[in-house]
Amino acid sequence: MLALRLARGSHPLVLMRRLLVAAASAGVGFLLLCTLGYASGHPAHSAGSVLRLLWCFVPLAATVQFAVAVARTDPSTRPRAGLSAVGLGPVRLSVLAAVSTAVSCTLGSMVALLFFLHLRGDLSGLPFDGAAAGLLGAGAPLPLAAALVLLTLVPAAAATASAMALRTAPPRATGAPEDADDLLPEEQIPAPAAPPAGLPWGVALTAAGLAVEAYANRGSTGSAFPLPGKLDSTPAWVLVGWTLTAIGLATAGPGLTYLCGRLLQAVRPGAVRLLAGRVLMNEARRIGRPLGVVCAVLSAVIAAFALYGTGPRPFGPLTALGAVLVIGCTTATLLTSALEARQARAETARALLRLGAPASALRAATALRAAALLLLFAPLTWAIAELAALPLTA
Amino acid sequence: MVAPPDNDVIWARSLQHSHNGSPALGGVSLGIRDGEILAVTGPRGSGKTTLLHCLSGQLVPQQGEVWFNSVPVHTMGPRLRERLRRDKFGWIAPEPQLVPELNTWENTALPLMLRGTGRREAKKAAMEWLERLDIGMCARKRPHTLQQSQRQRISVARALAAAPSVIFADEPTATLHRTDRAHVLRTLTSAARSHGITVVLATHDAEIAALADRVVPLLDGRRVATVALPAEADTEGRAACSLSV
Repeated sequence: MLALRLARGSHPLVLMRRLLVAAASAGVGFLLLCTLGYASGHPAHSAGSVLRLLWCFVPLAATVQFAVAVARTDPSTRPRAGLSAVGLGPVRLSVLAAVSTAVSCTLGSMVALLFFLHLRGDLSGLPFDGAAAGLLGAGAPLPLAAALVLLTLVPAAAATASAMALRTAPPRATGAPEDADDLLPEEQIPAPAAPPAGLPWGVALTAAGLAVEAYANRGSTGSAFPLPGKLDSTPAWVLVGWTLTAIGLATAGPGLTYLCGRLLQAVRPGAVRLLAGRVLMNEARRIGRPLGVVCAVLSAVIAAFALYGTGPRPFGPLTALGAVLVIGCTTATLLTSALEARQARAETARALLRLGAPASALRAATALRAAALLLLFAPLTWAIAELAALPLTA
Repeated sequence: MVAPPDNDVIWARSLQHSHNGSPALGGVSLGIRDGEILAVTGPRGSGKTTLLHCLSGQLVPQQGEVWFNSVPVHTMGPRLRERLRRDKFGWIAPEPQLVPELNTWENTALPLMLRGTGRREAKKAAMEWLERLDIGMCARKRPHTLQQSQRQRISVARALAAAPSVIFADEPTATLHRTDRAHVLRTLTSAARSHGITVVLATHDAEIAALADRVVPLLDGRRVATVALPAEADTEGRAACSLSV
């Protein structure tokens, strides 16, 4: 109940983020139910059903990542003096975060179930002249227990992940009260984050992934990499290669971001370059991982377009929904992490403004950070996409 | 609008301000002469910080006027006030408020660098002040590795290095022990006197206020003659209690 009460009083933007989580959860729930519908409608094609189910885990992982990022930025789940005084410590707050994440994800799952049943015609006849009947396996009855299990996947995974993320997160300094007449206890300056160490591993994993994928395609015939609707060869090794590449990029992301910040503040920096570079170095871990994931997703999308973009019917509606979910969730996660970094630095920014730092200088530093990251990651994404598509098109 | 007297570097007339309806300042007027050290005293919640915010242009008073060197501050736009704070004012807060990502000399040189001074020149000025405040050996350390008193001295050096004409110090020694407190205050006041910098010092401590040339006592947002409060509330019916530590 406390989760709901806190949610009711929160800022519209916070509610908007929660609604986006609910929407993503609805999308994933819908995809999972479609897989179930396909499986119950085509009992003979069990391999195809399993492949579809496995593909659903990509948007599911993206949604869970987004839900965790939203839970971390939610002001109602941050350690606060007011709640700490009434006995809500970090543990209870992580439970609170898990509950509110579960609530928004369950809301999405319910919407997905209703929408799915409506499209199948189980509620009030077939809408749209039964256009979606074949896709959703309208004829076959839906096993209720399986549907419920699939629908609880997203809320359970997201709630567990956000509770664990908030349990392990370092306690954040609470914001100073506006009234500086109240003398504050000694200021605790958090130690800056250590430079991330994953860069060599990330590069190695990415290279290994690309190599596995290229090796798997030697001498194969037909389309080496089927999207869920197309089942003409086994994509196992290609998938392993792409997964390795994606993990490698996510591991290398913080290291690359740190490097970027280091280069930005090198060689006699002025105030703006100094602030931009040092902050980027400090926030490398927070920003770098979602940035690496976005980079991996975008390179996969570019590669997929290079392979299938020219065909008459490149992908079906459900693949499109999944792709939109993955791209949307990873991008939203990146933006939410940037917001979290901004929240963590709000106190320093206020102190700088008090010194008379022009607001335009702070904005320039932010823009410089974004530009530097874009300059590093855009060519990287493109290069990885080209390398990934090369063995498949040759 | 009456033009202020010429010999005052800052001149304020009947400042009134309230935070979300709760009154903070109720008609405070004062003039600050060039090069003097002025202490604003009073207990907590008497409006010292709000007064300093108004005088330094961080806050526009709801009523009243603030003039700096015969230029009205209360009619300036936010951009001009920001520029005024950057070029003419220094600010020392109760907490050091350093940028955790920058090392000591970079923190100290930051106001100069924000003004557009060259890196070498800014570093030279910063190092000079750090040496004078006995923290030259920490110049390359990050704030989280230093003690609170060292951080507060960096904050003082940061305010002094930019060579402002007025330094506003809001309870600059509130979080320090007595020995560190004396050191920080002595360096601040002696540096201000030798460089002709005006200092406005908010404090609730009579001992600190004794270092100033002049004292302006505030009580509940008004200027009073003295802040000698009536003695402790009656302890009638309560046994004398002692606390052994």
